[in-house]
Parts: sequence; C-alpha cells; structure tokens
Amino acid sequence: MMRKSVVRYTLESCAKCMTCIRACPTSALSMYNGRIRVDQERCINCGKCISSCTHKGLLANGSSLEALKDYDYTVCMVPGALINDCTDLDQAGELFHAIKMLGFDEVVDITDVEGAILKEMYLITDNTDEAASIASFCPVVNALVRDTYPVLQNNITPVKYPSEVAAARIRKQHEGKNVGIFNLCECESKLALAKHPFDNPEYETDHALAIVDIFPAVRRNMSGEREDVCFCPDGLRFSNPAMMLQKDEYLIADGFDKISSVLNMAEFGLLNKFRLLQLFPCFNGCIGGHLLFGNSFLTRNNLHQLTSEKSKPAADLSFEEMYSEDVFARDEDSRSFMERVEWFKTVNAQLELLPGYDCSACGMQTCRLMAEEIAEGRKTLRDCRVLAAMEDRRTDEDN
Amino acid sequence: MSSILRKDYVVVRDDYAGAGRVSSDVKATLSSIGIPSPILRRIAVACYESEINMLIHAYGGDITLEIGDDNVIHMTFSDPGPGIPDIEKAMTPGWSTASDKAREMGFGAGMGLPNIKRVSDEFDITSSPEGTTIQLSFRVT
Repeated sequence: MMRKSVVRYTLESCAKCMTCIRACPTSALSMYNGRIRVDQERCINCGKCISSCTHKGLLANGSSLEALKDYDYTVCMVPGALINDCTDLDQAGELFHAIKMLGFDEVVDITDVEGAILKEMYLITDNTDEAASIASFCPVVNALVRDTYPVLQNNITPVKYPSEVAAARIRKQHEGKNVGIFNLCECESKLALAKHPFDNPEYETDHALAIVDIFPAVRRNMSGEREDVCFCPDGLRFSNPAMMLQKDEYLIADGFDKISSVLNMAEFGLLNKFRLLQLFPCFNGCIGGHLLFGNSFLTRNNLHQLTSEKSKPAADLSFEEMYSEDVFARDEDSRSFMERVEWFKTVNAQLELLPGYDCSACGMQTCRLMAEEIAEGRKTLRDCRVLAAMEDRRTDEDN
Repeated sequence: MSSILRKDYVVVRDDYAGAGRVSSDVKATLSSIGIPSPILRRIAVACYESEINMLIHAYGGDITLEIGDDNVIHMTFSDPGPGIPDIEKAMTPGWSTASDKAREMGFGAGMGLPNIKRVSDEFDITSSPEGTTIQLSFRVT
C-alpha cells in the first residue's frame, strides 16, 4: 500500500507541547528523542495536527511553483471549494487570471467533473438495494473507514476522485506534449492525493499546491483583468454539506467527531434506512478546508451569484473514466488469529503496569500505545514520566 | 474451551445516554485484534442489539466478551430481571413490549431477538423472573 503523510515537522519552532499528538484521531503522531514522528501508515492526512499546532511546528508539504519550469505546457486545476470563496463571476474570473499570471499556460475549473461524479454517486445509490453507501469524494473518509471502520469498507462508492478524473482528461487532451498538471488544494488530504498517490501509482496529477502557499502571489497578481469563466452548479455544491441535495434517504454530516459517530452507528447496522452517507471531516465541508482562508459560513452564500448569470453542465464522463475497482483495498494481516490475540494480551499485560492517564508525556498518545511500544521493546516502563516520578519520590523517601 | 482473553462490562440501569458504549468498546477491541470484517459486522449488530435490550427491557446487567482457544468468540449477556414471560413470542419478528420512552428514542421495533439469532453462529437464551441470560458465539475461521 502506497500511502504517505504530507505532514512535515519543522523542528525549530516546535514547543514539544504534545498538543498535536493528542489531536491526532488515528494515533499517527508520537515523539521520539525530542522529535515528532509521523507514522506514514497510520496518518490519514486529516490535518488535525497542523491546525492544532499554535507554534507552527507542523506544516503541510505542498509543491512549489519552481516545478513549473520542468514542463512545456502547464495546467492548474481549481476545485469548486476555492471558487465558492468568490462572491461573483467577475471576482472568479479575476482570480483565474491572477493564478494564470503565476506562470500557467491554462487554468481550468473542475466543477464539471465534480458535478458529474456527484450525480453518478446519486445514480449508484438510487439504483441499488445496498444500504448506507459511503460517498467516496473525501480521501480522509476513505482512509478512516478502511483503517478504523473496516466493517464498512465495501460500502464506499467505487468512483474515482474528481481531481484524478479531471487530470486524466487534461492529459488526454494534450497527448504527446510534456504537460505538467498542478492541483490547487483546499486541504491536506487533497495535497496527499496528488503528491503521494496512495493506492494508485498511476495518479495523473503531477503536483499539488496548497492554496494558502500561493495566495500571497495570486493576490499581488489581481489587476482587474479577467478570464472568461463559468461553472457547473452541481460541482460547486460538491464542496458543502448545506448546498448538497437534501433527501430523506441521504445522511449528510460534517466535522470529524460527528462523522466518526455516524460511522460507528453505521457499523452497528443502525443507518440502513439511509442510502447514501455523505461525510465531510472538515466542518462545513470542503469549503471549510484548512488550506482555505475564507469564512465557510459566508462563502456558501455565493453559489447563486456564481451560477445565476451563466453556467455549464456536468461533464459527460464514460464509465471507465469514473470507476475504480480496487482503490480501497485493505492490507491483510499476515499473523494468524491466535497470534494476534496473543499480541493483544501481551500489550494488555504491559498496560496494566502503566498509570492509565493517557497524558502523552512519554511521547505516545495513550497508555495503550505506550504499552505496545514497551511490548515491542522500543521503550521501557522507565520512559513513563509518571511512573518515573513516583519511583524517584519513593527513593527520596527511603533516603 | 478455555478462555484466552476476557473482558467484563456493566450496563447501568436506565443509562440511555450511555447506550452503545459497551458495543463500541467490544467492536474497537475486536477490530484492533483484527477480526475479519464480515464477522465483526455480525458481532457488532448482535452486541448492540443485546446491549440495548438490557437497557430498554431489563434493569441493566453484565456483558462478558471471551475469546476461546477454539477460535470462537463468546458473548454473554445476563440481566437481573424482570425476565421474558414468553420467549417464543419474543422470538417472533415484529413482536415488542418496549416502553413508550424506549420507542420515542427509536428502539423497540420488535426485531431484536430474531436479529441477534440470525447473525450469531450459536444462540442460547434462558429466562425467569430473576433474570435473562443470552449466550452467543461466533466462529472466527
């Protein structure tokens, strides 16, 4: 499985406060010898650690515009989530022009592809007897389901990510040319998708740019000059729970804690009356992405202005373009059931000896993870700050 | 069969706010051991249903999760009453005695016991006014 975290640790400003370690929903962060370590297998690129850090000790690792010179022809893909930040078509046109001025040959919006994928997702779920399908547009949700809610892994709709489909179309359009495709990203997970193609070595996007990284330069390029733009309304709806099609049989939820509880209920079979679960880990959906800067409550009101004057239909995509067969396979554990149970018991035996405060002072998120480290022989009980302090105190009293 | 791993839980009487907590922990425990997901799905459904039954029909009770050395997962649900007067009726799909309070919260559709039996590999129930005990088992391989 090729999965990589885009979280980058910058030592200089890290205060070693362990806040990020506690913020991680998948226990992917730990501290070793004074440095934060990101477990590449466990990280689902949700960005919670980065947004929890008040010392700028962690960053999302995007590409830089330097890479533009490696290609003969460059295309920048703009997602609906960023377009929703514009108040009207004029502003969007100005934004597109300013992005182009960074050195791109072409700036394209992918709302037509996003709209087509969204419609396909509704089609799949309206024409099946399967209950509680999970919309597959968010890489964080897909990774979370696979790792933490494995019961539901076959519920994920088998369609590809819109940015991947759009990039493949662009590549086909410019066949034979040395084309560089850059995806402008609103969140860490989309960055990861383009930079480190997890589960899919043939990913079509060459580079991922974080919106916050390039925005200062884009801002300076805003000159009143505009590109002629129009968008697909269904594509713009794709990025926000409040704008999506509301139906009794669709469950729409946003925010990491909320979607975790929805997935937990779905595993108990309690949500089978719903056909489709549309889950956004980011509060207010993709327009609440960490790498955007607008207020997600204000931006969602822009949809009407952006599409009332003129708009374009959803892209006409073929079956092959949209569907993916094996994107969400989970790694098989090679150990036998009994071996796994034995390992669990070994860890539990160590856990009994630890204080159980889950204070993270040792560098591990919880006492259970510390117990695993001890069972693996990577740490000892003495590395537990609480136990060490208690022991020191006893020694002092004895003296 | 001797047990190689055992976890005990308590379901507190009338603790509706805590509904599903035991099942969530059972699910997380078995998931971290790496139980294949089709089996995990069945255990999750049966465990949740049984836990909720203790809450809405009984005065709380005890839940035990045991993994046997025979590759079988055993679950025991025992409550202190009031017991099921007619087990045969209770096993009939759609039949329910749930209180109005429970129904208001979305429970009590009368599918509980039949469902639990359907998803388990073995199902055993005994009941008297002193309490009800349900024993379930699931083969892992």
